[in-house]
Amino acid sequence: MKNPLFRQSAATRRDFMYGMTSSIGSVALTSLLSREARAYPGPGAQAVHFPKAKAKRCIFLYMEGGPSHIDLFDPKPKLDELHLKKFVRDGKAKSAMESGKRYYVKSPFEFKKMGQSGADMATAWEHLKTNADDMCFYRGLQVDSVNHPAANYQANTGNQFGGDPAIGSWVNYGLGSMNQDLPGFVVLPELAQPQGGASNWANGYLPSQFQGTPLRPKGSPILDIHPPKGVTKEQQRKNLDLLAKINQMHQEKNPHHGDLAARMENYELAYRMQSQVPTAVNIESEPKSVRKLYGIDEKPTDDVGRRCLLARKLVEQGVRFVQVYVSTWDSHDSIQTAHGSLVKRVDKPISGLLTDLKERGMLEDTLVIWMGEFGRTPDNGLRGPGVAYGRDHNSKAMTVWMAGGGVNAGHTIGATDEIGAEAVETVHHIRDFHCTLLKLLGLDDNKLTYYHAGRFKQLSQFGGTVIDPLIA
Amino acid sequence: MEMKINWKQVLIVVAFVQVVYLGKASADEPSQTGAYSKGEMLYALQIKPLFAAKCNACHGDEPEKIKGDFDMRSRDGMLKGGDYFAEEVVILGKGDDSFLYILTTRAEEDYEMPPKEADALTKDEQWAIRDWINEGAPWLEDEIVLAIQDKYAEGVKVVTSGGLSDDWTNRRYDKADIWAYQPITAPILPAEIAPQQAIDYFIGQKLQAIGLPPAGEASPLELARRASYNLLGLPSHPERTRSFVQAFAENPDNAWRDYVDTLLSSSHYGEHWGRHWLDVVRYADTSGFANDYERPNAWRYRDYVIRSFNDDKPYDLFIKEQIAGDELYDRQSSEGLVATGFLRMGAWEQTGMSSATETRQLFLDDVTDTVGQVFLAHALQCAKCHDHKFDPIPTQDYYSFQAIFSATQFSEPEAAWTEAEVQKGMEEDRRLLEAQYKSAVGRLDKLNRKKREREKAWFAERGLPYKSVSEAKKAGADPSQIPQDEEIVMPEESGLHRILRKWKSRYSWEKDRYMPYAYSVHNGGTVLHKEVSRRLPKPDNPMDTGELEQTAILDGGDLNSPSTPVFPAVLSAVPGSESIKLPKDPEGRRLSLAQWIASDGNTLTARVMVNRIWGYHFGVPLAGNPNNFGATGKKPTHPELLDWLALEFQKSGWSVKAMHRLIMNTDVYRRSARHPDQRALQEKDPLLESLAQFHPRRLAAEELRDSMLAISGELNRDLGGIPIRPDINMEAALQPRMIMGTYAPSYVPSPLPEQRNRRTIYAHKARGIRDPFLEVFNQPSPEFSCEQRDSSNVTPQVFSLLNSKETQDRSVAFANSIVTLSPDESPENWIATAIEKALGRPASDSELQLFCEHYHEMLPKHRSAELASVVYPTSVKRDAIDEVSGVPFEFEEELFVFAEYHPDQSFADSSPEVRALSDICLVLFNANEFAYLY
Repeated sequence: MKNPLFRQSAATRRDFMYGMTSSIGSVALTSLLSREARAYPGPGAQAVHFPKAKAKRCIFLYMEGGPSHIDLFDPKPKLDELHLKKFVRDGKAKSAMESGKRYYVKSPFEFKKMGQSGADMATAWEHLKTNADDMCFYRGLQVDSVNHPAANYQANTGNQFGGDPAIGSWVNYGLGSMNQDLPGFVVLPELAQPQGGASNWANGYLPSQFQGTPLRPKGSPILDIHPPKGVTKEQQRKNLDLLAKINQMHQEKNPHHGDLAARMENYELAYRMQSQVPTAVNIESEPKSVRKLYGIDEKPTDDVGRRCLLARKLVEQGVRFVQVYVSTWDSHDSIQTAHGSLVKRVDKPISGLLTDLKERGMLEDTLVIWMGEFGRTPDNGLRGPGVAYGRDHNSKAMTVWMAGGGVNAGHTIGATDEIGAEAVETVHHIRDFHCTLLKLLGLDDNKLTYYHAGRFKQLSQFGGTVIDPLIA
Repeated sequence: MEMKINWKQVLIVVAFVQVVYLGKASADEPSQTGAYSKGEMLYALQIKPLFAAKCNACHGDEPEKIKGDFDMRSRDGMLKGGDYFAEEVVILGKGDDSFLYILTTRAEEDYEMPPKEADALTKDEQWAIRDWINEGAPWLEDEIVLAIQDKYAEGVKVVTSGGLSDDWTNRRYDKADIWAYQPITAPILPAEIAPQQAIDYFIGQKLQAIGLPPAGEASPLELARRASYNLLGLPSHPERTRSFVQAFAENPDNAWRDYVDTLLSSSHYGEHWGRHWLDVVRYADTSGFANDYERPNAWRYRDYVIRSFNDDKPYDLFIKEQIAGDELYDRQSSEGLVATGFLRMGAWEQTGMSSATETRQLFLDDVTDTVGQVFLAHALQCAKCHDHKFDPIPTQDYYSFQAIFSATQFSEPEAAWTEAEVQKGMEEDRRLLEAQYKSAVGRLDKLNRKKREREKAWFAERGLPYKSVSEAKKAGADPSQIPQDEEIVMPEESGLHRILRKWKSRYSWEKDRYMPYAYSVHNGGTVLHKEVSRRLPKPDNPMDTGELEQTAILDGGDLNSPSTPVFPAVLSAVPGSESIKLPKDPEGRRLSLAQWIASDGNTLTARVMVNRIWGYHFGVPLAGNPNNFGATGKKPTHPELLDWLALEFQKSGWSVKAMHRLIMNTDVYRRSARHPDQRALQEKDPLLESLAQFHPRRLAAEELRDSMLAISGELNRDLGGIPIRPDINMEAALQPRMIMGTYAPSYVPSPLPEQRNRRTIYAHKARGIRDPFLEVFNQPSPEFSCEQRDSSNVTPQVFSLLNSKETQDRSVAFANSIVTLSPDESPENWIATAIEKALGRPASDSELQLFCEHYHEMLPKHRSAELASVVYPTSVKRDAIDEVSGVPFEFEEELFVFAEYHPDQSFADSSPEVRALSDICLVLFNANEFAYLY
């Protein structure tokens, strides 16, 4: 590892693994793999730190914008009393949220105890309530920033400033790939990129094959996966054949330059991926009943439904980590309308996903996470038109939930104060939550490290504590 | 496994000074070590420093937060044990059974100590604990410990301003880890070695030592290509290559020297080496984070850097200008002001949602760490919360260094254009921006009118006497008599209103691009802006505006825990720093810092820069981490050479070009990339550090794009000016992206080919939207300082280089240029020209035959193909979600540029011959020989 060139050629061996199929003989394959194992100090597929962990893969439903715990999963009847009364926030570091006229806002949503476990859920969750007993709610989480991009980066990479590897990259680095033909970390963004952009799924300092591959919801799933219009398949094949020949001639003159073979192989892989990727992401062939379960072909659930179904299909095909983005929960103006329509967008698709995974027996070894970058405040400030029944950002309280692989389903862990302003019970920083997610997937944050810029780096940044009550 | 051992070795060295004394102690009689027992010796020399480095962070440093109730501050505390292990932690005399020892061997699952595997103790360290317990775990007073350490400990102490604990202040360093703090010493050259031969001498010494003969010389064709890319980032022009090869046949050394000189005198040199510098300083044209606002004048800094390299500006001056250009010259000096843009290169924003004091601290932390990494190869950030774990940098130094910048404030004052600055293309660009701005304003007006009409209607329907909401409010109407926004504004209108408001404000700030403002700093008090979404003018009396900061150590890095006040100072571990007194007054602090950094006596600066230069020439720097000369950075492979170069650099008047000449006019630079004895190379130089052969490298992202443009003849070689917008993947360009509260406008390319097809360094570099082509070929993201680029080899690169419309356009233009120039030539000659231009060498017969067959096979198919021209959208419909209502809506964005966009010549509109030849050009652009440099 000392020499960048050595590292580079070793890395390139592995770089192209994700598209590799039968064209390399088994002998070559073995030698490539053994070489790769030596080249990486990280544990790789051969070493799961917690062999008893149930989850082997993860679907991460990322609710961008900061969903309101107070209106979805953490009822605060006290706010009914305080509604529109003056609110004072005492912050040492003044931002817009600590100044101006502020007032409490009650939740416009009705709550009920759902499932046998009696989980608190807004009644707006007409579908998800049926999954209540499979879910583990956590109300003790805190983050550092009330800024969207910084908090997005922290939720996704552990580092507020971006540039570090995303969780999906770490998990793939730790567990390795289950399907050499597909990327191990797939992101299903909305049409619009989230705040902070692609750094939310970047590989950071990990080798580039651990980067999240965004599959675009419209247009070609991967940029430039198809040649420009007018280029025929035959033309492309002939070009590739010619390229292979001249590359062959070049390699004969440079037999010791290791990168050349890897790069040649990449061209063949890319050619195959052109036909494989569209098949892998095709949900049109799914039975009508399944499509219905996810709310596909109906408004307003079609878009999220498609991406949830695709997430299931991808993990079924061996993709290790799929992240689905749903925006934007940033409801400063009207919780009722904005959160109301968002719940309608996601309720059926997410419930459908949990139900579908369960019916297929996949929920046992699939970890499903639902979270945003932070929660929301019990109060609001004056907005353009005056008093608005919305909420600001809250880094001190939020609700996240998990389902499937090894989570303590049917329980609500932690609590916030009586107005939902701050977590007060089983309080943990997001670094601890990251350690917990890794442990659920069989990985130990303290062992899953990568040497970069002078020190061993890890998802939790400087180490953290596993939140045991979240694990069954 | 091999790897692991390597890292552990590194760890041993960095985390704890190995004390060799132990071996001696067991051999010698205790009496020989004076009054101290073996156990006491162990405690003083190994155990105490070990606990301080590896255990006390959780078991004593913060008494209120002791983990597992196990307190290691005293012997009693240790003997008592903690929550999980009580008396069995230390069983006196029985090291093997004591859990203090057992846990460090990591045999007890879930209780491995220290918890992080990367911190694991070495076998020697574990045994020291065991032996110490066997000896009765003696504990000594600090003075005795010090006395023993002074007498017997190996390693060296480094005098600093002092750490937060005595353990840290008194700790010892392996000499190898503090090499960069030793004075730069002139290595002794044998009398017969002339200075021009010194590099080959040092490299040769090491090769001789490992018994590895070097490879022979590369061919002149290879050398021509190597040097051209290395200095210009562009392929060598075939004419220039030919004349070089001819001259080389007659007198290789002269021909080579002249060739290098010619390249160095090209103004494209500054573009390429400026790019290296911009990698290190994280240049971007936008600010990142939620809004990713434009930095409309940042490009002047980019051009300043390019000019500085072209002019061979002495590096010491380059340092002073970037850190303190405003203090160095007359306040009106544009060059000085523009240069200080360096201090503001990091991502930064202040929105209504963030605390201005936190944002201010983020800048101070960023600038402290950046100046450390860029000029001194030290990531100072590590010392923000605690004394540096590995390097002699106490937290005190971190904040004293930071204090230098406590009066440094952002501003964009007017700074007249200099003669060297390029204003070409502004009018054209401004016209398009104005069109965008006017459209946003017009649409906003329309929406506002609509809203007013609805308000009026709402009141009329209810028989209320008001015409507008504001009127009703003024009249004190009951809230029930005032419409809620939802009642009079449709979700798509509310969403669109939000978009247009934001765009209007963005566009109006972006107009600053054409104004002579400098993205710079001044000295003054700190003004905490609630929100920054426009140019920051310089206050009239900066010293009386805002609060003059008094820097204090922030305990644990916590902004809310200021403790001891500190005053501006440089790094105390660097020799000579004790005599450096920085002004207490805010004025001139940065200049004094810069003078210290740029002084001959600074042991870091010259080494850091020559190491970077060397790295860009050979792909492998002499010290492997150009941003980290501390204990965890890789040690120099040729320390004498590094010092020799550093001194030459200073002697040359800090001339970067002099370094290029020195380095390139050597055998080692001219060496072949094909060592004849690969087996010997593998055996004797497994880490490829000896430079027995030249290391091949893949072209960087910008080199790939620039080369294709140069080869196809499309490259507009103009220098400087406002950022241009090249064609990028259209789907990525039109991909909506979220910015704070709404959506950003689309990326639109510049309308004319000559505007778009310029060198990549002039391309608008937004943090929030990157050109996918450049990104996939490892253009670093501007989040961190990039000390050295990665060069990965991943499948998506194939999609970009083989399938993208941009590469197809280059291939068509390339083919077209050949056919247009000599329409009557045979296809074979066209192909020969294509190969020579793309690969920088004449075509071989077998290649020609292959390519010709391909051409003739495909030509009939191109003749019969029916192709549709590309249609460019003048507006785009986009899906979005209204933040207020959560309702999805669609909006239209006008893409003005495409109304006057001149596409590059397209595949569809080319003749079958050009298309057939363009396929060959495409194959050449994808060839390994094109992508790699030998």
